[in-house]
Amino acid sequence: MNDFLHTFFDWSEITGILPSLLTEGLRNTLLIAVLAILFGLAVGVLLAMLLLSRRRLVRLPARIYVDVFRGLPAIVTVSLIGLGLPAAGVRPFGRSPLGYAVIAVGLISAAYCAEIFRSGIQSVPPGQMQAGRSLGMSYLTTMRLVIVPQGVRNVLPALTGQFIVDVKESSLVYLLGLGAGQRELYFIAQEQQAASYNASALVAAGLCYLVITIPLTYLVNWLDRRMREGRPARTAGGAADPGAPPDGAGAGAGGAVGAGVDGKAEGALLTARDGGEGRA
Amino acid sequence: MTATAAISVRDLRKAYGPNEVLRGVSFDVAPNEVLCVIGPSGSGKSTMLKCLNLLERPTGGSVVVAGVTLTDPKADVDAARTKIGMVFQHFNLFGHLDVLSNVTLALRHVRKLGRAEAEEIAHAQLARLGLAHLARHRPANLSGGQQQRVAIARSLAMSPEVMLFDEATSALDPELVKDVLAVMRELAGTGMTMVVVTHEMGFAQEVADRVIFMDGGLIAEDGGAREVLGDPSSPRLREFLSQVL
Ligand SMILES: Nc1ncnc2c1ncn2[C@@H]1O[C@H](COP(=O)(O)OP(=O)(O)O)[C@@H](O)[C@H]1O
Ligand SMILES: [Mg+2]
Repeated sequence: MNDFLHTFFDWSEITGILPSLLTEGLRNTLLIAVLAILFGLAVGVLLAMLLLSRRRLVRLPARIYVDVFRGLPAIVTVSLIGLGLPAAGVRPFGRSPLGYAVIAVGLISAAYCAEIFRSGIQSVPPGQMQAGRSLGMSYLTTMRLVIVPQGVRNVLPALTGQFIVDVKESSLVYLLGLGAGQRELYFIAQEQQAASYNASALVAAGLCYLVITIPLTYLVNWLDRRMREGRPARTAGGAADPGAPPDGAGAGAGGAVGAGVDGKAEGALLTARDGGEGRA
Repeated sequence: MTATAAISVRDLRKAYGPNEVLRGVSFDVAPNEVLCVIGPSGSGKSTMLKCLNLLERPTGGSVVVAGVTLTDPKADVDAARTKIGMVFQHFNLFGHLDVLSNVTLALRHVRKLGRAEAEEIAHAQLARLGLAHLARHRPANLSGGQQQRVAIARSLAMSPEVMLFDEATSALDPELVKDVLAVMRELAGTGMTMVVVTHEMGFAQEVADRVIFMDGGLIAEDGGAREVLGDPSSPRLREFLSQVL
C-alpha cells in the first residue's frame, strides 16, 4: 500500500515537476489545443455546408474527408502528418513539431465538427431559411446569420465533447519529439517518469489536463444558458421603450402571454412540414 | 397580362415528382388590391403563394411580381424578394435574435443600412404595430399574436410593394386572432397590395376586393368577394363554405 502511494503520489516528485508543467507544459498544451480547435471549427463549418449541398459532386469530397479522418486512429494521422510531411520535404513549420500537431489534431477535429455542425444545421426548422430568403437575404447570408447560429446552439454539448477530445489528443505530439521550450504536459511528465520510475509526474500532468477539461464543460454550459436566455436588456439604444418590463415578463398590448401559447407555437414550428428548402 | 398588374400569374404549374400540386393557375392582382385565397387543405394554396416569391420554384408558367419576371432564369430573385413581404403561419421569427434584431436584420444585411438607421426604421415599425415595449424581448417570450405582429413588422420594415399572408392566424389561439386581423385590415386600408390565404371568411368578406377559391391545384372560382362568398356557383365551394362557416 505504501508502495502504491509512493509510486503515484510522491509529494516531492509532484512539487518537483509542477513548475515546468505549469509554465512550459500547460502553455504548449493549450497552444496546440486552442489552435487545433479553432482550425477544426472553421474547417468543420465549411465541410458541413458542403455535406448539406444538393449536388452530389460537392457532397462527395466532403463525405470522403469526414469518413477518412474519423476512421483513422489519431496516432496514425499525427504520425503521417508530423513525421511524414517533413520527411517528404513539406515543412511549412520548419522543425517545430507543434505546428504539425495543430494541423493533425485540427484535421481530425474538423471531420467530427463537420458532422456535429451538419446535424445542428439540420435541426433548425426549414421555416427559418424561408423567412430569411423571403426578406431578400441570400442562401449564404441566411446560413451565416440565421441558420448556423441557431444550429450551433443546438449542438454545443457535442462540440464541448469534441473540444475535450482535442485537448487530450494534443498529447500525441510527443510522438514527434519535442525540444526545450516545446514540451507539453504529457511529454514533460513522461520524461520525468522515465527518469525516476515514478508515476507521480504523470498524475500531476493528469490533474493539469482535468484543470483544463472539466472547467471547459462548465464554461460551455454557462455560455449555452446565457445564449438561450438572451442577454439582459441593453439600456443603450433602448431609449425608445423606457417602460420596458424585464425579459420574460412581457404581457404586452396583445394581451395574455401564456406558457401554453408559447409551448404550442414552438411545437408546431418544429413539426411544421413547410415545403422545400427554399434554396431557389 | 395587364401591364399595370402588381402580380401577374400565367399557367402556373408545380409538381413534386409525379404529384402535380398546381395544374395551371392564372390570375392578376391589381395595385392596392386585396386578394383572398380560400380552399380546402391540400388544394395548393401555400404552394401557390410560395411560387409568388419563388420560395418554391414553379415547374411551369410565369410569375411577374412588382415588375419583375421571377420565372425568368436571369431575374435577380433576392432583390425582387425585398419588394415582396411574406408572413407565415408559424411566424418563423429568428429565435436567436430579439424582436428589434429580427426587424433590423435584413435592413442591415440586405439594404446595408447602418445600425442607427436600421433601428430607427424598426422602432417606428414596431411602434406602429403596438410592439415598441417588446423590442428587447426574445420571440419565445411573446404570445403567438405578438410574434405574428413582429413578423409583420419585420416584413413591412423592408417597404414591400406586395404582402403575402399564408394562414397568418391559423396557429393562434382564438382570442389572439383579432389583433393580427386588425393589423392586416389596417394594412389593407393603407392601400397595400395583398394576397391573403385564409380560413377567416369574415375577414375575406369584409376586407377582400376579390376572392379565389382553389380546389385540387386549380382555381375553381375567381370573382368579387361578395359574389364568390355570398352567392357561390359551384357545389364544391358551397360545400367548402358550409364546412368553414
Ligand atoms: N415540399 C413538398 N414536397 C412534396 N409534396 C408537397 C410539398 N409541399 C406540399 N406538398 C403537397 O402539395 C399539396 C398542396 O400542399 P399545400 O400547398 O401546402 O396546400 P394548402 O396550403 O392548400 O393546404 C399537398 O398534397 C402537399 O402534400
Ligand atoms: Mg397551407
